[in-house]
Amino acid sequence: MPIGGHLPALFAPRPPVYRPGAPRSGSLHGRPIGFAKEVPRAMQNTLRDRAIVEVRSRVLEACLMQSRLEDGMPLDVLVNDTLYHERKRLEIDRKSPTWAEDVAFWDGIKSRLGRSSEPEVKATLEQIIGRFTEEIRGNFNPTLYGVATRVLPRALPVLLNAMSPKRLLSRGLPDIADTVQIQGNVEGLRRMNELGTVILTPTHVSNLDSPVIGWAIYAMGLPAFTYGAGLNLFSNPVMSLFMRNLGAYRVDRQKTAPLYKDVLKEYATVSLELGEPNLFFPAGTRVRSGKIEQKLKLGLLSSGLRAYVNNLLTKKDKPNIYIVPCTLNYHLVLEAESLIEDHLQREGKAKYIILDDESTRARKILNFTQNLVNLEARITVHIGDPIDPFGNQVDPATGESVDRHGRSIDIRRYVTDRQGTPTHLPQRDRVYTADAGQAIAAEFLKHNVVVATQLVAFTLWETLRHRHRELDMYRLLRTGDEGSGTAITTLVQRVLKVYEALHDRAQRHLLHLEAGAVQSGDAARILETALRHFGTYHTRPVLVRRGDRVFCEDMKLLNYYSNRLRGYSLEKELEPLFKSEVA
Amino acid sequence: MAPSTPPASLGNGKAATAVVLGGGSWGTALAHLMAVAGVKVQLWMRSDDRVAEINEQHTNSRYLKDKKIHERVVATSDLRSAASFAETIIVAIPSANFRAVAFELGEVVSGDQILLSATKGFEAENLTRMSQILREETCCRKIGAISGPNLADEVMDNHPTATVIASPMEEVIEKAGLLLAGPTLRVYGNHDLVGVEVMGALKNIIAIAAGVCAGMGYGQNSLAMLLTRGLTEISRFGEALGADKLTALGLAGLGDLVATCASPLSRNNTLGRKLASGMTLTQAQADSIKVAEGVNTTFAATKHASRLGVDMPITRAVHALLFEEMKPIDVLTRLMSRANRYEHTEVPIDAPRMVDGSVVDTALSVAARARGW
Repeated sequence: MPIGGHLPALFAPRPPVYRPGAPRSGSLHGRPIGFAKEVPRAMQNTLRDRAIVEVRSRVLEACLMQSRLEDGMPLDVLVNDTLYHERKRLEIDRKSPTWAEDVAFWDGIKSRLGRSSEPEVKATLEQIIGRFTEEIRGNFNPTLYGVATRVLPRALPVLLNAMSPKRLLSRGLPDIADTVQIQGNVEGLRRMNELGTVILTPTHVSNLDSPVIGWAIYAMGLPAFTYGAGLNLFSNPVMSLFMRNLGAYRVDRQKTAPLYKDVLKEYATVSLELGEPNLFFPAGTRVRSGKIEQKLKLGLLSSGLRAYVNNLLTKKDKPNIYIVPCTLNYHLVLEAESLIEDHLQREGKAKYIILDDESTRARKILNFTQNLVNLEARITVHIGDPIDPFGNQVDPATGESVDRHGRSIDIRRYVTDRQGTPTHLPQRDRVYTADAGQAIAAEFLKHNVVVATQLVAFTLWETLRHRHRELDMYRLLRTGDEGSGTAITTLVQRVLKVYEALHDRAQRHLLHLEAGAVQSGDAARILETALRHFGTYHTRPVLVRRGDRVFCEDMKLLNYYSNRLRGYSLEKELEPLFKSEVA
Repeated sequence: MAPSTPPASLGNGKAATAVVLGGGSWGTALAHLMAVAGVKVQLWMRSDDRVAEINEQHTNSRYLKDKKIHERVVATSDLRSAASFAETIIVAIPSANFRAVAFELGEVVSGDQILLSATKGFEAENLTRMSQILREETCCRKIGAISGPNLADEVMDNHPTATVIASPMEEVIEKAGLLLAGPTLRVYGNHDLVGVEVMGALKNIIAIAAGVCAGMGYGQNSLAMLLTRGLTEISRFGEALGADKLTALGLAGLGDLVATCASPLSRNNTLGRKLASGMTLTQAQADSIKVAEGVNTTFAATKHASRLGVDMPITRAVHALLFEEMKPIDVLTRLMSRANRYEHTEVPIDAPRMVDGSVVDTALSVAARARGW
């Protein structure tokens, strides 16, 4: 019998005292909207304290419960296992600001463990769980939140580095409201927030994603979302201040102890049960390759389903949890160079965590944001359609789940036994969560907004790939197009071909086209827009025009930007043109 | 006929129940099998005449001649009442009608019910598996498949055998296992739903080839070659679709392949024999009321093999036989005259290969070959 099956009463949370305020109404339609006078209520400190207490008692109960099972892990083994993972981490993670403190703590645990009685081991375990939760918990300050959201629009760069705001402001900064375009099923998202508790799941390419989505949530009139941000985002003091006050809690991805992951997951679960909307990046980390993430991390996602079952057990009047996928679409990606480098070096091997990249370098961020102004480029946030924790579509009007033929589904039946009692069955629930993951991945593809840089990069990459088809990909990345370039007329013709294929797919609701150059369908204008973007910001221009030819100066970045259009079978569309070239 | 046993229970004191959709030979045999083990079974089919025959005479003469069906099997043509009769529903409908029935089923089931496909085949267009159709057409998620060396006639005669219940969800395997396991059937579980379904479907192609082989009068050597190389190519196809390699060597792979290819009872095998005797596909099909799933599967697999980058020489040969009006002897000649290859890598024996690791070794090997050494 799985552990969860024993625990309905234990895992039953207390009834909530807090409900998010009704969301503000107001149409967006791509226009920036004014700021709310009142401070949207994010998860407040008292509520956080309650969540922490709940998480501690649940995780501790679970530890005790499983230790009593015949093949369960005895408490001292559990402590030892956690100790082992933490000491291993501390060997490598010497830069951690709390390194010395951590070492002292775990040394203490180690010296005590050998001669501890059972109650003492239990106390030690409580201490460990307490330490993990304390670190995870953030600190919400409503006043600061108000300041943050007012300053945020003009201070996007400030968020990302520790430069003096005065110096930054003197150089002309973009207003985020002009820079971020919000579109898609915004009404659906608002409605889901009224009918139940929302988990917003955006695509993840950049450290800019957090402030951008944070601002979008604010601009849509929604309360601040709870989300787990990587510790590296807190290492920058200004960023840290804002992150903690935008509803973020801290996640240390270097910590591999299973107990730590349990604590994290339970924190998300409890906050959902308390009615707090959550923000998960289901990719887990920034996508390195530039592709739209299709393999998602399901660990955190499963807390949505667990919270739903707990809500049923405590008979909440709004038990439903809704997952709303959304895509963040950039013409240029701040950290593209580091990300693709990492991807190419480590493809097929274990990923590592980038601690130092463009997003920690003040000058890069400044250049990046100034380009946003100069090019009038927009970051598009596209809100997708809601789904339930089982991966079914949800009717945005009623909040009811529907099958592929639009027939409504009683989703309680998925998790109740024949007598109608809700049950936790972790193995079953993993399968449901995998289904939800697939549905999110499909929504990502569907709500991807294609921009000019990606379209042109894709066309040129495929062209070069075909021209040098005898080379393997890594060789092509090194040698590039050997200085011969590609004639503009040829490229325009091919861009048009890819555009037509994209347009066809957009008609069939398989993706979206960006409202500017791409939607115009004017291939020359698409190419010109891409050239303008690619000529700026990156260390070397991705593409440059010389005379009537276009040259690629950075094959890795070309590959990176082209990858966003993988997964739509576009590759075959260019084949007829390649054939006629050979003839 | 096995002696009557009291109704089984699933541990909660209530009698165990199950529903089977499809009154063909396999659907009927499954219903009978569970009934023998004590489960109350409703068997759904469209034909009222056959419903009456099963309920009154306890036979299904169209598919199973005079074999007696257990009295605990109750036939019905009312899908709604059948669907509410039990938690677990086994769907044994030919692949061509599978989606239509699944859609109707979608109107009457709820999310707590378990659906199992007992059909071995694909939808040709997108290579859709039967469990995927159940997922697409209903709200159910507790979905799995049954497959293995289970020839319907032998099951009806209570010959001992084993079957695989595949599902990513252990709850499905556990509950279906309780219903199906009995004195003549052992149940094995497998998480690899893709592999179990793909093997179950693809082995029918090899079964047709085996029938042709036997029909041409060839003996055990030829059959063994066909089975072994056949298993290799279908397992490669399965892997390309995400199946586990080991599934091909299990009951749903090798087990089912051996049963289907060795038995003259198998419809795909029978079809192969007819083709060997000179009949065309149309003539051979007109000769039998039972659907040979292998025909449909050969078409689907051939269509998708090149997209998946899988070389399937035997499947191509069967395709040529079925749809391109090639003569068996010509197909055989073509197969036998393929380049000789290494068994695991498929590299032609006489093709020059790079020597890994050392440029000098590579240069020397190439030079040696050039001189004919």
